[in-house]
Order: sequence, then C-alpha cells, then structure tokens
Amino acid sequence: MTIQWLAIILASTVFMLVIELVRREKLTFKYAFAWLFLAALGVVCSVFRGLLFFLSDLCGFALASNFIFFAILCGFVFLSLLMTVFLCQQNRRNDRMVQALGLLELEVRGLKERVDGR
Amino acid sequence: MTLRILVIIPAFNEAGAIEGTVREVLAQKVPVTALVVDDGSSDATSARAAAAGALVVRLPFNLGIGGAVQTGYRYAAAHGYDIAVQVDGDGQHDPSYLGAVMAPVADGRVDMAVGSRFIDGHAGFRSSASRRIGIRFLGILIRLLTGRPVTDPTSGFRACGRKFIGVFAAYYPTDYPEPEAMVVVHRLGGRFTEVPVVMRPRRSGVSSIALLKPLYYMIKVSGAILLHTLKNRKVYEP
Repeated sequence: MTIQWLAIILASTVFMLVIELVRREKLTFKYAFAWLFLAALGVVCSVFRGLLFFLSDLCGFALASNFIFFAILCGFVFLSLLMTVFLCQQNRRNDRMVQALGLLELEVRGLKERVDGR
Repeated sequence: MTLRILVIIPAFNEAGAIEGTVREVLAQKVPVTALVVDDGSSDATSARAAAAGALVVRLPFNLGIGGAVQTGYRYAAAHGYDIAVQVDGDGQHDPSYLGAVMAPVADGRVDMAVGSRFIDGHAGFRSSASRRIGIRFLGILIRLLTGRPVTDPTSGFRACGRKFIGVFAAYYPTDYPEPEAMVVVHRLGGRFTEVPVVMRPRRSGVSSIALLKPLYYMIKVSGAILLHTLKNRKVYEP
C-alpha cells in the first residue's frame, strides 16, 4: 500500500466518522462542519497529489511533506480557535441562564411568602 | 418625585461581614432596597443577608464579580429602578457615603458616579503600594481613552442611572468589570465622575485580586480595556 492510499483512507475515515457522529446526534452539524471541511480537503489533496505538490511549490516549500505538516498545524490552530469561540459562547449562555435562575428563584420565594402569609 | 434606589451587594463567602453591611445600608436616611447577590457561596451568606433584611438572589455557582453585579442590574432593569448602587459585601465600602455617591446621578449631572478613595483630602484604607501603582496606571490609561480624570478605576462603589442600568443588564464586562465599565460608559456617550469616599479594610474574606501579582493583573486589565476601543458599539447595546 502506498502512502497515498494511506492518506486517502485516513482522511476518508475522519470524514465518515464525523458524518456518523452527526448521524448518531453525538455531534451537531454546526460544530461538525469545520471538521468535515478539513477532512474533505484532506481527501481531495490525497486523491489529487498534483494539487498538493502545486500548492506546496506555490507556498515555497522545498518538500511537500513539510507543507503537509504545516497545513495540518494550521488546521488544528483554526479548529482550536473555533472551539474556544464555542466555549466562550457557551460560557456566556451559562452565565445568563444562572442569573435568570437566581432571579426566578427570588421571585418564586417572594410569591410563596405572600401566599403562605395569607 | 421619589427615586427608586436599588443597592446591589455582590457577595461570595461573606457570612462574616454581610449582615453588618446590609444593616448599615438599610440604616441610611435614603430609603433603598438592598439586593444581595450570593455568588455561589458555600457558607451562610444568603441566610445572614436575608436575616438582615435584604432580598437575596442565590446563584447556583460562582460567576465572578461581573456576573454577580450584572444579576443585580438585571433585577433593577426588570423592576424599574431609577438608580442602582453597587456596594461590596465585604464591608470595605462605608454605606454612609451612599448619598454622596448617588447624588451626581440623582441630579442628572452624570450617568455613573464612582466612589474614589484617592481624591485628595480623604484618608482611610488605601491598599498596598504595589496595588496603588497599578491603580494609578489604570487611571492614566482610562484618562487617555476617555479624556476624564480617574483616580480609582478599580473601585466597586458606584452608582448608575436608568440608561446604564439598561445597558449593564444586557452587557456587563466580566473580566475586570470596574475599569472596563468606565470605558463602556464613555463609548456609549455617557458621562462619569468620581466622588471622594473613605474605604475601610475588609471585615472578612479574601480579595479576589489579592493573590494575583499586581503587575500581571495590570497587564491583563490594560489589554481588556484597550480591546474595548476596538469593539463594535453594537455589542453593548440592549
């Protein structure tokens, strides 16, 4: 088996794994999209080797393998930034919900006291 | 017309001080409602605050000072208060200055008034030298950004009028809320001023920034403040 086939299998596996996770509702499409995009890019680049060499030359890399490492690194930086954005968004929503819960509890306690006081 | 005033008291594990703080707040001449926001305390903060006569919002877990204070602003906005005053639950802020801090807002002269312990002629508790240097640096930074003199940007003893109750109910900075809130007020075209107050040492508990190195704190706050100048104003609008 050539390295090209290994790359095709690996990228396709990631792509299908993400689709399977979405299918099983373990991942929602919103969060899976970036993974799907990067996995699809991996499949395309491993099927069309010429494209990989062309991009590597275009960016000025002496070896295509260096370009691959660089591209993977960039992909993970992008993904982790995206995850941080989602995390912050989630954190903000959590805070808002906790505030609303605390305020509602105060209202409920007040109402109960009024009812019990009657 | 009588103004409706809400005193927001954020508290985290302040069972030793909260009762005294609430009683002092309610003993002032100006009639106010005291709202203690118990920021996920594991001690008897809520019970003692309620026993002293405050309304108590119990947050299920700790949100930090920004989240706790914003809860108070949300309550103030939902119940139509005219002025919201923040007073720390640890007893550092002397409630006898409540009237002085809220006066510029009640008169309509400014949108936010901040109690400052560093305006000349006032003594009392002033914290460590390294923290004072940090506070001075932040004051200069905010002055450069807003054009207004600032001597005590980290003071949490402050009053806001209706406009900024609405703004802060929707958006309140969570990283370093006190200095950042001043920049937010300026960015939304509001005016703020400082009022001389005397602060006291904490009655109990540990300051949330006491364990951080002041220099590290200063760098992080400066970064957070400077980023506000790049933010779209829409993020602050209700």
